[in-house]
This record gives sequence, structure tokens and C-alpha cells, in this order.
Amino acid sequence: MSAPLVLLPSDEVPQDHLPTNSSNPLRLGPGLRILSQPSSKGTNHVLTATQAGLLTTDAKRNTVSILSFPNRRYIPTVNDFVIAQIHHSSVDFFHCMVTPHTAHALLGQLSFEGASKKTRPMLKQGELVYARVQSVGVGAGAEVELTCVNPATGKADGGLGPLTGGMVFDVSTGMAARLIRASSSSAENTDAIEGLVVLSELGKKLESLGGFEIAVGRNGKVWVDCSNAAESAVKVTIAIGRCLQETDQQNLHPHDQKKLVTKILRDMKLVS
Amino acid sequence: MFGPIASLSQLNRADGSASYKCPATGYSILGAVNAPIELPARRDALKPEEATVEVFVKPGTTTAGVGERYVEGILRSVLGKIVLGREKGFPRRGVVITLAIVGGENVERGDSYLTILPALLHAALLAMISASVPLSMTFSATLLGVTKSGDIVRDPSPTAAKAAVSLHVFAFSSKNHLLLNESEGRFEFDTWELVRERALSICQGVISSDGDVTMDEGTTSASLNGFIRETVEDQVYSDYAYKLDSI
Repeated sequence: MSAPLVLLPSDEVPQDHLPTNSSNPLRLGPGLRILSQPSSKGTNHVLTATQAGLLTTDAKRNTVSILSFPNRRYIPTVNDFVIAQIHHSSVDFFHCMVTPHTAHALLGQLSFEGASKKTRPMLKQGELVYARVQSVGVGAGAEVELTCVNPATGKADGGLGPLTGGMVFDVSTGMAARLIRASSSSAENTDAIEGLVVLSELGKKLESLGGFEIAVGRNGKVWVDCSNAAESAVKVTIAIGRCLQETDQQNLHPHDQKKLVTKILRDMKLVS
Repeated sequence: MFGPIASLSQLNRADGSASYKCPATGYSILGAVNAPIELPARRDALKPEEATVEVFVKPGTTTAGVGERYVEGILRSVLGKIVLGREKGFPRRGVVITLAIVGGENVERGDSYLTILPALLHAALLAMISASVPLSMTFSATLLGVTKSGDIVRDPSPTAAKAAVSLHVFAFSSKNHLLLNESEGRFEFDTWELVRERALSICQGVISSDGDVTMDEGTTSASLNGFIRETVEDQVYSDYAYKLDSI
């Protein structure tokens, strides 16, 4: 593994940092673009950065991308999971808010599992859905479309659909991406994947209270529900939200994350 | 001479933010960027395939006036050229940059606004980098004053700037292109050329006779482009400490 490389806009990606896997074509992630420079012997292609951040490569999937600052705004990308809030509904669509100050995303009235004209969820203003970005359109000012089913199977894979109960917390988009990576990576080293131990620690400590359920949206939202905890459900929800937000804002190390969990649970009188 | 002080991503709710303080002139700027967001009543912008860059300058003690409008115009044209407004999610949307002057002397009505321009440019650039707005290049800017005796002074204080015969602001991109030149006062072309060379050496570090930038430790950190790079690298290292520790 070569030394970490930080690129600024207009910096070129050095050849020796690119993955050497030649079986499938190199894929560019966000923050990079390819420029062609005509020269004496044909055209030269160089990869340059358009955003500042850490250069990361994945040798297995043959990708190269830039990890940029975690506080950035979420830009919808096809197949991302997001938590959207219903703003209003019209004849064919629910108009949902994904990020503040942007146009509403559209969610079809019938794009839920098993929905038909007669049986479909009647969502009201302010309710939450866990949805997948279906299309972002082509060209300027195109609308973002969401869906709550997998169009191939007609099933709600991965917990898609309306989120009932619980509470939603805002985190940075970088933290949301980190939570998703941590949960999707293989379970061989469960502690400290992506430097995150806060969730496994909370899971251990709150097992006696009935555990909890979370959903992470790429747009920087985390939905937390622990309806099993009976009378302390509200307290547990808020404790989990606070742990996640403080880990994010203070950029805590795994060691400090464990301390934070213990401190917050004691403050809220959940675990003695 | 003390270098400038800057830090990134200080505000939680903005998409990107930066604070910048220049000890020589005393100005301190807080910049915030929100991008890409929907601009009201801009759906039929003149260039529908590109993002619109909006800049707002807020003085610390009064409301914005003619001077702020003027400097906003300069900033908008420079920053609008380096933003890649056709990237995904950006066309027809807005890149809104708000720069608050939080420290330093007030720029009175009728005073030259050039003294504060480099600080505003740096704060806006760092805030855009922190918001991950796609950019074609980075830049750095400097203010130079020419005194009555013909000396070139770097970053003159507001009082020294009032006494100067001419004031010049230069911005150079990371590839050594001249991006911006604003000059005020009486000067001759030979003076301008000297000032330009001096500005280039401040922004890029000392250039030796064979045209190469000398890369020893002292000069790279003293150049303004090197300063921008170091500020960004520091922030990336602290944000991704969890990733870099494990390598």
C-alpha cells in the first residue's frame, strides 16, 4: 500500500497509484475526470481531480475515486438508499424532500411492495420512507425519481418502504457513507470496521432493553427505532442518536467512542 | 512575516465553510458555501446548462453597499470561471457563497476595496473546496502596494494602502496562469511588470533562473499556493484519521 495521497482540484493522478488490474476497464468514481491533451504522438489521456480529498483505489473492482470532505451536500445517484420525507402528494406521485433547498424528488404512488390502485399506502405530510434512487434524469433541471420496490422482483429488498415510529437524526453525508460501508463489509473483523465501534457497542449494552433498529440514508439521515424497549423507548432512541451525532461531529477514535457510549447511557440512566 | 491562518469546515449546517485570517492586513473572513441548491425564479437562467454562482459579501458592522456590490462582481466572475458548472447535479442550480467580514478595519465608503479582495478570494476558494464543489483549478491571490518612493510592499495595512500610489491585486492559478488583475492608482507599465513578477513569486514560491520552482521546505510553505494545499491536506488528514491510522 502506497502512502496516502491528497489531491487538490487540477492535480493529476500519478500512474503508479492506479490499480494494475487489467481484466476489466478502470472505472472513475466521484471527484475525477479524464482530460485529453493532443500531443505530437496521438492524444494523451490524464486523470485529474475536480475535488479535494484522499485518493482511494479498489484493486478488486478496478475503481479509483476521491474521498472528499464528509460535510458536503448529498447529490442523488442511482441505486443509493435514502430516507425521504413526504412533502405533499398528488394524483400519481408523492413529492418528497431528500435534501434541503433542492427540488422535490418524486415517488410513485404505486411503487411500493404489493401496491395497486385499491391497496396503496396513504402517506401523509411529514411521514418518512426508506427509498432507493431510481433515476436522476438526463440534462439540466431533471427530476429525481425514487422507488420503494426492486423493479426486477417487485419486492421491497433491504427494508424499503414507509418507516413507522422511531425518530430521524441528521448526520454528515460522510458519516452516513461510513455507516453503510461498515454494515456492508464482511463480518470477518467486526470490531473497528471503518473505525466505527459505536453501533456494536450500543448493541451490546442495549441488548437487555430489547435492542434497536436503524436505517441509514445516503442523504445524511439515520432513522432509529426501538419500540421493543417499552417505557424507556424514547430515552434509548435519543441516546443512540446522540452517540451517532457526537461521534460524527467530534470525529472520535474507536477508544473514545466506547467511552462516549458508556457516558451517555449513564447520563440517561439507562445502564447503571 | 506571519503567514495567513485558515481552517476548513467550521460551520456544521453549511455544505462547506472556511475561515481565513490575514495578520498583515488584519482582515478575518468567514465563508460559507451551499451547493448545489435550487435558486428561486432562476429556472430560465441565461445559461441553463451551467450552475449559477452567487456571491454575497457582508460587512461586519453595516449593511452591504456599493463597495460590496463591486467586489461581489469581481468575485463572481473569477469564481464562476473555475467552477465546473456542468458536473452532475449542478446545471440550473446555484452555488451560493456567503462571505462575512468578521474582523479587521471597516472599509469605509469611498475607500479602496482591493485591500480585502485577496482575503475574500482565499476564503471563498477554501469554502468551495470544503463543500466539494467541482473546480477546474485552485488559485491564490495577493495584494501589492507601490509607495511614493517606488518600493513594492506586500499586503499593506489599510493605512499604508491609503498612502500608496498604486494598489494591485493578482490571482494566479495552480498552473501559473494569471486569473485576475485589478489595479488602482497611477503606475507605469514597467512598474506593473515588476509587481506582476513579485506577485507570481509570492503565489508560486521562488522561481529560479532555469524556470523551475525550487522545492526545498522553506519556500514551498512560504508560497500562497503551498499554504492552500497545506490547509486542505491538514483537514483531510484529520477527517480521515480513522482510515489513515489503519494503513
